[in-house]
Amino acid sequence: MDTFPATLLALAITAPIFVGLILLAGRDLPRSFSSGFAFGGFAIPAVLGPWLLVLWSDPNTAPQQFQSEGFWGFGFALNGLSAPLLAMTSLVGLAAGIKALTQEVEGRNTYLGLILFMLGGTLGVFGTNHLVGVYFFHEFALIPTFILTLFWGGEGRRPAAMQMAITLTAGAMASLAGILIAIDASGVEYGAATFESVALGLQNAKHIPAATGALVLFGLGTLASLFPFHSWAPPGYSSAPTPVSMIHAGALKKFGLYGIILLGLSSLDITGGTLGTWFLWFALANVVLVGLICLTQRDLKQLLSWSSVAHMGPIFLGIWVCGVSGKADGLDAAAFLMVAHGLSCAALFLLANAVRARAGTYRLDELGGLAARTPILAALFIAATMASIGLPGFGNFWGEVGVFLALRDQSLWLQALVASTVVISAVYSLRAVASTFFGPASEALEKRFAAAPFGDLGGAERFAACVLLGASMTIGFVPSLITKSVNPVAADITTTSQHNAKAPTQAAPAAPAQR
Amino acid sequence: MPSDLSSLVHWILFLPLGAAAISALFLRREGGLAAWLSTGTAFAIAGLSLLLLGKGVDVTWHIELAKFGGVSLGFGYLIDANARLMLFVVSFVAAWIHLFSVGYMKEDSARGRFFAGLSIFMFSILGIVVADNLLMTFIFWELVGFSSYMLIAHYFDKDYAAAASKKAFIVNRVGDLGFILGIAMCLSLYGTLDFVALKDHAAAAKTLPIAIGALLMCGFLGKSAQFPLHVWLTDAMAGPTPVSALIHAATMVAAGVYFMARVSFLLAPEVLQFIAISGAGMAALAGLCALAQTDIKKSLAYSTLAHLGIMGCAIGLGRPDLALMHMAMHAFFKATLFLGAGSVIHGCHHEQDMLKMGGLLKKMPLTAVTFIAATLSNCAVPFLAGWYSKDAIIEAAYHGGHFAIFAFLALAALATCLYSGRMIRLVFLGEANSEEASHAHESPWTMTLPLVVLGLVYSVAGGFLASTLLPAGSLQPIKPALDAIVFHLAAPSTIVGLISLVVGFFGALKFYGSVRGADALQVVSPRTYHLLEHRWMDGVYRWVVDSVQRRLAEFVAFLDLLIINGVAVRWIGGGVPAVLGYLTGRSFHRGQMRAYALWIVVGTLFLAWFLIAR
Repeated sequence: MDTFPATLLALAITAPIFVGLILLAGRDLPRSFSSGFAFGGFAIPAVLGPWLLVLWSDPNTAPQQFQSEGFWGFGFALNGLSAPLLAMTSLVGLAAGIKALTQEVEGRNTYLGLILFMLGGTLGVFGTNHLVGVYFFHEFALIPTFILTLFWGGEGRRPAAMQMAITLTAGAMASLAGILIAIDASGVEYGAATFESVALGLQNAKHIPAATGALVLFGLGTLASLFPFHSWAPPGYSSAPTPVSMIHAGALKKFGLYGIILLGLSSLDITGGTLGTWFLWFALANVVLVGLICLTQRDLKQLLSWSSVAHMGPIFLGIWVCGVSGKADGLDAAAFLMVAHGLSCAALFLLANAVRARAGTYRLDELGGLAARTPILAALFIAATMASIGLPGFGNFWGEVGVFLALRDQSLWLQALVASTVVISAVYSLRAVASTFFGPASEALEKRFAAAPFGDLGGAERFAACVLLGASMTIGFVPSLITKSVNPVAADITTTSQHNAKAPTQAAPAAPAQR
Repeated sequence: MPSDLSSLVHWILFLPLGAAAISALFLRREGGLAAWLSTGTAFAIAGLSLLLLGKGVDVTWHIELAKFGGVSLGFGYLIDANARLMLFVVSFVAAWIHLFSVGYMKEDSARGRFFAGLSIFMFSILGIVVADNLLMTFIFWELVGFSSYMLIAHYFDKDYAAAASKKAFIVNRVGDLGFILGIAMCLSLYGTLDFVALKDHAAAAKTLPIAIGALLMCGFLGKSAQFPLHVWLTDAMAGPTPVSALIHAATMVAAGVYFMARVSFLLAPEVLQFIAISGAGMAALAGLCALAQTDIKKSLAYSTLAHLGIMGCAIGLGRPDLALMHMAMHAFFKATLFLGAGSVIHGCHHEQDMLKMGGLLKKMPLTAVTFIAATLSNCAVPFLAGWYSKDAIIEAAYHGGHFAIFAFLALAALATCLYSGRMIRLVFLGEANSEEASHAHESPWTMTLPLVVLGLVYSVAGGFLASTLLPAGSLQPIKPALDAIVFHLAAPSTIVGLISLVVGFFGALKFYGSVRGADALQVVSPRTYHLLEHRWMDGVYRWVVDSVQRRLAEFVAFLDLLIINGVAVRWIGGGVPAVLGYLTGRSFHRGQMRAYALWIVVGTLFLAWFLIAR
């Protein structure tokens, strides 16, 4: 008999998958039924996700109480890192679901079903502790992503879906190889290969093949759009249907980071030696080079896609500095940013689509002056923008500032480069806000309004945006909601990583702290 | 009993946040209600702050918000004498500006948003004042930047307002970049962000690292619009006039000064020297630039820059007490000047060009009298508010042996009198120079009452206020400053002041009366006028953005497209499907995506089977 929390967890993961299956099977189900049913599939996890986080943070519940059999041999469980990510995913899923329900698309039931699959898979990624299970759920979510982009995507969807499929499959294959080698080296049976058991096994492993860390870092890094393996992401997000971009960029992508932390950072010494140096430079490129690329974007959705890549930079650097300094604060901050970025990024994709629905374009030079017609859309968009550039009061602030502070013992030039995101992101984000909403209304917009008057943001989308921004503000005002859960696991991982970095089989010492 | 008073501080801090939330959520269409809610809140805070000032007791209170690794991030209050004074000045000036706004914004359709913005601003600025650690200061620092952004963008459908709001936010963030690095360095060196603990560490240290002071100073340069980050302030006048009065004259820009005073123990002598020289230079230069502005608000903005330079100079001279005193005096008379300008603009049907005004003394007597009183205070006429603080700073420079700084400050004093005289001459004296000015009318009581209260009671009675009115405990920061002034006519500062007044103020009155409908300086010496009017630093920044930043960004984007996306990804991306296509006899790269998707599914299922079966 499973405990109550375990039942909740299993329900949160299986509900969307089950509803998705029915919608896929019942393509001709009447609209009213399928809408209500699909909403249930999106809403159940959204209630259970935050609830599970609260239960997890309660000192009276033990981690074992969240474990259950699961299915296909992959047991369900939570850890301190996955609990907040699962809660975030569930809220992003709800918002994406509401967006999907308001869309008029061909093959609606299939569309909704696939999105539910995607959501269920993403929840599964964070809801299982089995290493191969995590990987399996990721693929389970990724395949609907490709299909959805291919058939329901926007401009340029074919090449984008293709590039995304190829790059992500290549990345996933590389990381799978790394994972399998790591499991092998740890001496743990596949059936029992959880993050904890593998980490324990690797601590005592006599030999870890040299390439394991690189495979895991760059394989999973590809999924999380680590420079220079990021090229799939901007076209992929841009041409995907909005709910798909929301779940993918907001939640699913975090799998890469999650894996890098729990396997790479903790056991494979990815921040040491030459690999660590490469990691640092690539992560810096995410911040600086991709940040500069964001400045050249002329299309709102492209800009959001690129900035979503740029925002991975501080997360990678938080992970890096944790390994290098042996202090947990970088990891705490990175985890915080993973959650917060998911919320703000999904909100931006959602609202940008609402802009397009009204103005008929994402092109910044054709937009302008929308705030006069749609004040609520403008207010929410500005709020989401402010969240994404780390304004205090929103979750992203704690993550970004936490990473800056974690880098305090590194050289000043490194800190300055990372913190330059404070300025760069403000420049491109506010430029986008100004060209979309401020100034006099553009001619194109006036014509369009005259032809077909549009209103402000509708109730459903308003609610969806408020869920995301409300959640971001909640953790912005009460950051301990996240840190209480993350602190212990971050401390454990840091300790383990320092132990493994000093293991004799690892030739490389920790990267020199540049002082 | 600090524990009791901490709840008073809770009220002071969170009342405006509550008002802002209510206005934003429920009163978007009820502008009148929002206006009175926000104004009522502001007066309540002013009352509570006065209560706190009267108690004269220090308050400390702290909670931990979160822990990142071993670093505790906290939220708390450190209310000392400086904080009590600042709380009172900010909330008192703000309350009257709120009342003024009720009248000024009466016709505005977005009053709800405006007053919600003012309340958010109040929350943010008060947070800076009460904060007990660097991170909390930074949090509210950023929020102040945001509320300033929103309020400058109030008339967002105007291109200039959109551009100005963006510029203000970004320039401030450049300063904040340094600020956050300074915070990180404090944490690295001292292991704490708490002001009290930092002070102990700094006192124990033999030498202070220059970098910490220099980096923390960056925040001050941005927020207080000091050279070279001063460029946003004049553009910020695109916001409604009460916003200019409250945020961009009286309080927010003064927050930088307050912050520098708060962390003065972390500033190395080299940093102080830089602040002193750049502040004094800025004071002189900005004062002269004010002569080449025809927009009344922009001219006042340059005047604010000059006064901020003087305050910065006092910090640099190692006299944060004088800086705070000048901040308080300046807040009163500059708020009056801006509100007066607002009243004039309102009366002249939204005309802001001083060359088109004239003769308003008769048409708007109340506004004129208060404006002139505040102007005289601005010129540091003896026994008016500005005299006590400004002369004290000039005196400090002289007695400290900083003669270059003294010379700059003397020039600043002269410039102040020049632009003040010019303003009075152009706006209030002579004949009306436009249709709007000839039909000007006095403003309603909600606008003139604040003018009278702030202008007459405080600008004129500033010295009286400074020496007698304020409760004893609150005087600590000011007391030594007052004692330091040498109140006799032979003091260098008094001599400088009187010469400036006679030459500058009365000279300007006469000089600018010589030409009608045009700027006399522009007529006499167009080159000098252009030299002062031209915005040199803006040109530098434009060059950096257009020629350096944009080209670099485009170059990086090109490389990304060419090398990473073009060669590497396309080659692999094209190669893999081509091989698969060759193997299966199907051409994937021609877009047979269905087949490709199928292959992924099959491959994954195979993999899953393989793994489970093992």
